[in-house]
Amino acid sequence: MGVTVLQPYPLPDGKSGAHIIDLLGKRLLSLGATHAGQFLVDCETFISTPQHGAPTRAVHVLHNSEYPASTFSMIDNGTGKQVSLVADNIFDLLMLKMTATFTSKKQTKIESRGARFEYGDFVIKLGSVTMMEHFKGILIEIEYRPCVMLSYCWEMIREMLQGFLGINVAKEYPSYFTTQTIINAMGQQQVHPKQNDIYEPMDTVKQYLEHFTNYRKHVQMHTAMGGTGGGGVGGPVVMGMQPSSVGGAGMGRA
Amino acid sequence: MIMDKLNVTLTAVKNLRSNVRQCFEHLADGTDGEGVEESRNKFVHEFQEKYNNINSQLREVEQLINGLQVPPTAYHLGNTTYLAQETSQDRQALYPQLVNSYKWIDKVHDHSFLAFNNLNQNTLRRSYNYCSQKRQRLPFSSFNNDPDHIEKLLSEINYPTHTTYKVFRPFGSNAVAIVTIANVLKAAIVFKGVLIEWVTVKGFDEQLDHDDLWAESRYEVFRKVQEHTHSAMLHFYSPTLPDLAVKSYMTWLNSHYKLFLEPCKRCGKFIANGLPPTRRDLRTLEPFHEECRNC
Repeated sequence: MGVTVLQPYPLPDGKSGAHIIDLLGKRLLSLGATHAGQFLVDCETFISTPQHGAPTRAVHVLHNSEYPASTFSMIDNGTGKQVSLVADNIFDLLMLKMTATFTSKKQTKIESRGARFEYGDFVIKLGSVTMMEHFKGILIEIEYRPCVMLSYCWEMIREMLQGFLGINVAKEYPSYFTTQTIINAMGQQQVHPKQNDIYEPMDTVKQYLEHFTNYRKHVQMHTAMGGTGGGGVGGPVVMGMQPSSVGGAGMGRA
Repeated sequence: MIMDKLNVTLTAVKNLRSNVRQCFEHLADGTDGEGVEESRNKFVHEFQEKYNNINSQLREVEQLINGLQVPPTAYHLGNTTYLAQETSQDRQALYPQLVNSYKWIDKVHDHSFLAFNNLNQNTLRRSYNYCSQKRQRLPFSSFNNDPDHIEKLLSEINYPTHTTYKVFRPFGSNAVAIVTIANVLKAAIVFKGVLIEWVTVKGFDEQLDHDDLWAESRYEVFRKVQEHTHSAMLHFYSPTLPDLAVKSYMTWLNSHYKLFLEPCKRCGKFIANGLPPTRRDLRTLEPFHEECRNC
């Protein structure tokens, strides 16, 4: 279990996603990395049917091909508190049984898939994010497997990312790690520097959810500006649970 | 059809043979020797019966054999056909193979002879020293110290707060220390007396099994670090001052707590060939890439 960092790759104008992925893949191969299969991370969101007096809750169900026997889920009750759960794959069937309480929002099913590379102890995944078969962007996942804490190896990961992406990566830790809050013994929320915690698979999944939510929101803002009034029922809910979402720091509540 | 007939014939021959054998066995057993008329008659009677049996079976076999036909095609006998095949040396192409293996064995013999000579003169043999006459008269006692000594020695070392260690003795009196350095790595140090015999380095999240101290780490970086710990183990080796050797070795090992944190002193980069600077200088404890060390 190593530390994983997600890095969205900005698409230059006039270039297609497939072209960029191809280019990055070639760069990695010439660096000495080896191609090691494919990967897939998908996310489906279920929304609770509205009841009188109770706020709408969302359940995000994610799968990660790196942990093929597990289903990750997060309940978001809209008040800023998240409950996360790792379960066996059979959890998916359980969700299907709960259609009375939770309905799936098929139009927001989002996934990131692509090639997986290994370079020394690094695992690099070039993911293209698609929602409903529409290409949304490029999300690079980089994992350094021997290390268990971000603060130990962030500079290494940063150097690696800058090296093959050719873009400048900020010196600060990624926002997911710095903006985590915990409830302390006095019941108050407190900023907790997560870079000094032992990394867990759930952290990878939470980072994916954070980025996926950003991609979804981006689309909804787009459609809203286009005057079609899209977004439907889902729009306010997704926006509602992300009040301070500027800069991708939205899901930062554990 | 032909096969059936053949099978029946073969069975008949088998029966005949067993009957003949039984008959002769009966004859060889003879009577019980008491000379009683009754038993002698019985014996002769039984013999006649068996003899008749043999006769009738012989006739049956002859009849069956006459009934057999010459098969139109050769029987397919599977792999057994090869049994009777003539083997000639030229066709088998055995000779070149034999020559090759002979050469190979010859080479192995040569090499092992050279290796044996070299190993006999090896100065790196550390625990026992056969070569020096002087040493034999004054055997250093660093490998048969009393068991408490190593624990005392380890407790005397000033560890930084991020390092913890645990001593256990799976091999009788010889100690094994499991050292955990921050959240970076674990190392199992196998002692023989006070001398360090072996070091295994693994990642913080890997299991360092007490029963299997020799399994390598699954991560390339820790396998590389382990190589360096072994060379350092030879560097710090000092049979005359074994305590000091262990202390300086532990100080050197502790410098790995910044394994992923420090860039290489020479090239200033973190990564070379997918690895962080794994080499720590033996005196200054500065980090270097393996490739940067000698340039």
